[in-house]
Amino acid sequence: MVLEAETVFIVDLLAIFAIYLIVNLSLNMEFGYAGIPNFGKVLAVGAGAFVAASIPGRIFANIAGIEGDYIENNLAIVSEINIWLVDNTGIGFIVFFLTLGIAAAVGGGLGLLTAYPAIRLRGDYLAISLLAFGESIRIIGNNFTPLVGGTLGVQVPDPLSFLPGELRFPVATMGLMLIAIVVYVFSEKMIRSPLGRMLRAVRDNEVAAESLGKNTTQIRIKIIMVSAALAAIAGALYAFYVGGTIAIAYDRASWTFWPFLMILIGGLANNKGVLIGTLLFVTLRKFIIFFKDSFQEYVPFDVVWLDFLLLGIILLAVLLYRPQGIFIEKPTPTITLNGKKEQSGLKKMFNFFFK
Amino acid sequence: MALDPIFSDAIIFASLLALLSIGLTLTYLTTRVPNFAHASFATIGVYIALVTTRVWDSTPYIAIPIAFVISGVVAVALYTFILKPLIRKGASQAIQMVATLAFDLIVIALLNIFADYIVKTYQVTSREFTLRSYDVEFMGLPLIVFAAPITIAVLAITLHIVLKKTKFGIAMRAATENSDLSGIVGINVKLIFGVAWLLGGGIAGIAGALMSLWFQGDPSLGPQLIPSVFAASIVGGFFSIYGAIAGGLLVGLTEVLGTRFLAGEFGSWLIAYRPLIPLVFIVVTLLLAPRGLAGINWSRLRRHGFRS
Repeated sequence: MVLEAETVFIVDLLAIFAIYLIVNLSLNMEFGYAGIPNFGKVLAVGAGAFVAASIPGRIFANIAGIEGDYIENNLAIVSEINIWLVDNTGIGFIVFFLTLGIAAAVGGGLGLLTAYPAIRLRGDYLAISLLAFGESIRIIGNNFTPLVGGTLGVQVPDPLSFLPGELRFPVATMGLMLIAIVVYVFSEKMIRSPLGRMLRAVRDNEVAAESLGKNTTQIRIKIIMVSAALAAIAGALYAFYVGGTIAIAYDRASWTFWPFLMILIGGLANNKGVLIGTLLFVTLRKFIIFFKDSFQEYVPFDVVWLDFLLLGIILLAVLLYRPQGIFIEKPTPTITLNGKKEQSGLKKMFNFFFK
Repeated sequence: MALDPIFSDAIIFASLLALLSIGLTLTYLTTRVPNFAHASFATIGVYIALVTTRVWDSTPYIAIPIAFVISGVVAVALYTFILKPLIRKGASQAIQMVATLAFDLIVIALLNIFADYIVKTYQVTSREFTLRSYDVEFMGLPLIVFAAPITIAVLAITLHIVLKKTKFGIAMRAATENSDLSGIVGINVKLIFGVAWLLGGGIAGIAGALMSLWFQGDPSLGPQLIPSVFAASIVGGFFSIYGAIAGGLLVGLTEVLGTRFLAGEFGSWLIAYRPLIPLVFIVVTLLLAPRGLAGINWSRLRRHGFRS
């Protein structure tokens, strides 16, 4: 069975959609609900991808007893690991989820470290320092070879290698969609919780929130960490999905600017808007890439730049003429008392995560 | 006159950072928005220098006034057509920052298109090019080693005189301090802000035109410079032209000479981590003196030491 071109197109589109959806939901938590302009989103996403590129492969090589320098003989070692993983699916999945956990921890930690110096200062200082840190991740990845192989990049082992070739990508896409749905529900529940209300209160009037005894600095740091952890998971998933990581792929345009574009098109502080904005943008990009080659002969320059130009202009137009996006922010009802069991479960989860 | 090239490197880089930081501070004073497209205004200057030297076969120094005008006009366009309407509609500062990021993306795309166009039409290298060989020699050194610091000195003195002595400069300071109040006494605040953006963008263009004589030019120069420029401005305090000059010189000299020193001590692999130095500056400044060099009360510090 060989997949048809249309199926491959849709499968790939849905996978990229799921990954960007996670990143955008996490950005919406920060920027939409808490008003933190995180222009260094690429830092968390890149950190997750770098974790996926450097840790699981080494663990697998250790367990399977494969010798050799992981970076120098990367191609040979990873293909050996993939063959070994066919018979050891269980270990593969354990390490896969372990990697997601490590990525979340590293992302959250980096979020804390980069936000801490400026968290008490005015919003623009925080934005500048986050942007500057975001620019640095590519440079570190490019120069520090043991991490992601420098300019050559590394391969990432594939926990799904037991599947026959034509099923691998559809199954991976389904898994990604599932994780994205979980994140969506998590985000919806969170903004309806007391924590979500507090976030909006801090965003809308920090002094009033402080006068009511809310610790605004602490809540900001918390939301930055949660959001960075989610973005790092998305980065790790992306690395697993495409099966490789290279530092230059983690630039400001792809992982900071486009997420901002998507949530602003869809509508700030509205998860439905994020969903629609992401779908619109990912589909548009996919078609641009698809039809790029047929367009190339008509212009005397690389078509990639037309793409950048178009997206920049779209964003400016949205900001100027429809600043609220497609969906406007609606009052979010609190979780009803009927679902008592669910609420107490949620409360437990929140106590676990945030208190 | 013989000089270790690393010192020329340091002098030129520090001067350029100071120039970019002056421009950024000028525009920040008016609208209170950090302009993320600022470093790309310098890239425009770099490409104007490329055109004057390689396409028109003239000297790169001709590019300085042209770059001032074109970069300045681009900056005014950003202010008039994007930031001003956004401010009028009551957009938050974060939204205005996103708008400057979008503008940056557009400028970078246009520069790339222009670079492709130059290659195709004139067969001139337009990526990772250098114009070092087109510089004139002065006292055994490239002229740029003198031109860069002299430009800063001239600009600093001119700005000082304009801001402190002329009626226009005093109006400008009043407008940046309290735009509503100065509007009431009859100052044309919008015109003054427009002039500030023209100056800010234009000075960035001059920095770019000078930079092309020593450093490699590329459309992606802006994103590479952004952390250093913002580090310089934060160290300077973001509210003072003199702070901006001091911050630019400090960050620039430390970046070049500090990297060289550390590489000599610990090995040359460290050179690749040079971009981390501006980050260290940002973190240290924000933690210890968030209002920057200009915000520290120096006379009190001298009298009471660090305790007060």
